Amino acid sequence: MHSEKMILKHPLNVRIFHYLLILSFLPLVATGLILYFKPLSEASMNLTMQIHVVAGVVLTIDAIGFLLIGFDRVVLFIKRIFNISINDFKWFLVLGGYPQKILLKKKIAVPPMEKYNSGQKLFGICILIGGTVLIFSGWILWAFPHLVPRETVALLGLLHTFFAWVLTLFLLVHLFLGIYMFDDFKAMILHGKIPYDEAREMSPLWVEKDIIPLSDKTVA
Amino acid sequence: MENKKYQYIENPLHITRREFITISGIIVAFLALPAVWIKALTSANNNYIQARTKGLYQDDEKAAVRVSHANKSVTRYYKEFGGEPLGHLSEELLHTKYINRTKGLS
Amino acid sequence: MNATAKTYQKGEIPGVIAIKASSCKGCDACKRHCPTSAITGMFGATHSINVDLCLSCGQCLINCPFGAPYETSYTVDEVIAKLKDPNFTVVGIIAPAVRVAIGEDFGLPAGSLVTGKLYGSMKKAGFEILDNNFTADLTIMEEGTEFISRARHAVFGEKNERGGETGPLPQFTSCCPAWVRLVEIKYPALIPNLSSAKSPQQMAGTVAKTYGTKIWKKSAEKIYTVGIMPCTAKKLEASRPEFISAYEYNKKNEGASSKPYPDVDTVLTTRDLSRLLKKMKIDLAKEKEVEGGTLLADYTGAGTIFGNTGGVMEAAVRTAYAVITGEELQPLEFKKVRGLKGVKSASVTIKDSKYNKEVTLNLAVVHNISENIKPVVEEVLAGRSPYHFIEVMNCPGGCINGGGQPICGNGSSWLGAIRPWFAWT
Repeated sequence: MHSEKMILKHPLNVRIFHYLLILSFLPLVATGLILYFKPLSEASMNLTMQIHVVAGVVLTIDAIGFLLIGFDRVVLFIKRIFNISINDFKWFLVLGGYPQKILLKKKIAVPPMEKYNSGQKLFGICILIGGTVLIFSGWILWAFPHLVPRETVALLGLLHTFFAWVLTLFLLVHLFLGIYMFDDFKAMILHGKIPYDEAREMSPLWVEKDIIPLSDKTVA
Repeated sequence: MENKKYQYIENPLHITRREFITISGIIVAFLALPAVWIKALTSANNNYIQARTKGLYQDDEKAAVRVSHANKSVTRYYKEFGGEPLGHLSEELLHTKYINRTKGLS
Repeated sequence: MNATAKTYQKGEIPGVIAIKASSCKGCDACKRHCPTSAITGMFGATHSINVDLCLSCGQCLINCPFGAPYETSYTVDEVIAKLKDPNFTVVGIIAPAVRVAIGEDFGLPAGSLVTGKLYGSMKKAGFEILDNNFTADLTIMEEGTEFISRARHAVFGEKNERGGETGPLPQFTSCCPAWVRLVEIKYPALIPNLSSAKSPQQMAGTVAKTYGTKIWKKSAEKIYTVGIMPCTAKKLEASRPEFISAYEYNKKNEGASSKPYPDVDTVLTTRDLSRLLKKMKIDLAKEKEVEGGTLLADYTGAGTIFGNTGGVMEAAVRTAYAVITGEELQPLEFKKVRGLKGVKSASVTIKDSKYNKEVTLNLAVVHNISENIKPVVEEVLAGRSPYHFIEVMNCPGGCINGGGQPICGNGSSWLGAIRPWFAWT
């Protein structure tokens, strides 16, 4: 049965944060890869670095801005991604049923999930830690390499490269699944809403525990 | 799609006072630690230069003779071989000339 | 080798420093330490060095977080071969700053004074010791006397006894090869102001192959002089073709017919010496303390502080004061020229016993020239410099933080204000 009932999954501030994230992180990955492999001419490498720096500044402003404006969302996010149970191990054993669904077109039983499934939690943890390290080390590498002790800069450089690779690889998975889960894609990119029934299937525990009906008024 | 209403929302975050203090504390620490860390790093930045400087001044302080003109070996060098400072042999052996290298640059 | 190098004489090493492209991240950290903006390559692109501007000071090398710059001249194996050859007397010319830094490569804390252990290790490796502090004292005698004659010429109109020309004031020190090269490639108008005294290293090489032949009872051809320096620019200095004074002297006096030999055969940086000792399985930290032994290892406190910024000036003041007034400076420490301030100035009022008149001498000490040299030099060029004697050292803090010193991982050479620096182009 198809229901028209919708849940507001991504409020406007989250969507704006995410737009800016797309705007900054995709160029950062692209330019970062170029900076790593150094294939271009001197002037082009310089332009690449300049784009990298500007995008990095945008990302920093985005992250700090969201921490201030969407403080409740950040706290909820952190709470949720670190809420790990035995179900997460079971989830990873079948990889959330995605390979079976995508490759074999077959549905299998998956442990019930909260708002984020186990894969998303892992992704969230990596984003949180990796993103913080990338932003911090990026600023040091850009603005303070002459001041900060050499070995520290070298270590930060290594961490920057390491987490950049981790997030780049995660990004590929995220892009694929993000578009594959088209309802979620529309929710994040367009209007923030997902069908109640689908949420019930994907995140049963979330719908059960955290979703309340909007009683008094409705907002478009 | 755009105009479709929604009927459900997430239960908003309820934070107790204790939780708020904890979370704020963690965030402040998270922001302050790197700042403190950078400050500590950069203020200790030149310690090795100062340590080496001190090492040489110690060498000076413990030296029996602390002025060049009282170095007996230097005196002996001039007496046995070199003549006198700025003397003929000194000019020949211990002084030099410099060249203008800007011509190649222009 | 760079065929297009234009600011080098034939035979000179055309730039001791090069950048390994694969390690360079284009982060621009090195550019902030370069005194001549010799590092090319835009922000983000692989950097390289313009050898014509490069002073070979090595500050980029010890400050690059990613270890991209390296030395193009590496003669450790050559020196080991000479040490094993019984025909040669290998003379190690140990610079002052080496003794407070080399311990770091053997696990000792920064600033450990290890003169005795250094002598011990080097003797074990087969070196004869010529302490460069001895020639630092010699430098003070020459450079100080030169300064006194320039000052007396300027103040009292005294004529040079030998009828030669007396240079102008202010007199610049000439111990730092990077500074000398900066004058030669950027401020040639200041060449007369440079002290004509050779640097201690070159004096040491010359003395070892002239006077030293009597001490070691060897012919000059069989004496192999190795500068042990905290400095990469010393490698370039030693390769300057005019530094064959010992050969010319010996040819004139003994008619030796061998081919020309340099005063200093090769230069090892402090790092190179650590590598050499480690290759020869000598642990400096565990060596016994040993005396220098020869006449040429005899040094004073004035010679040893050459390695610090202000040290040459302090040593010169001690001697010049005694020579001009006839009495010793009291107290001997001349603290105004110590410390890490960019440009330190001081003045001393001295009563010239020869003319029975009081003279006030204005002295200045400049180090970390990438930050500090410009205003001082411009004053001199404009003819309104208040100074009579100016000590210049390229590296921040002096030779103790030279480009050839052990790289201290938890520090940086930056002495300026704590401020961000946003690289862009």
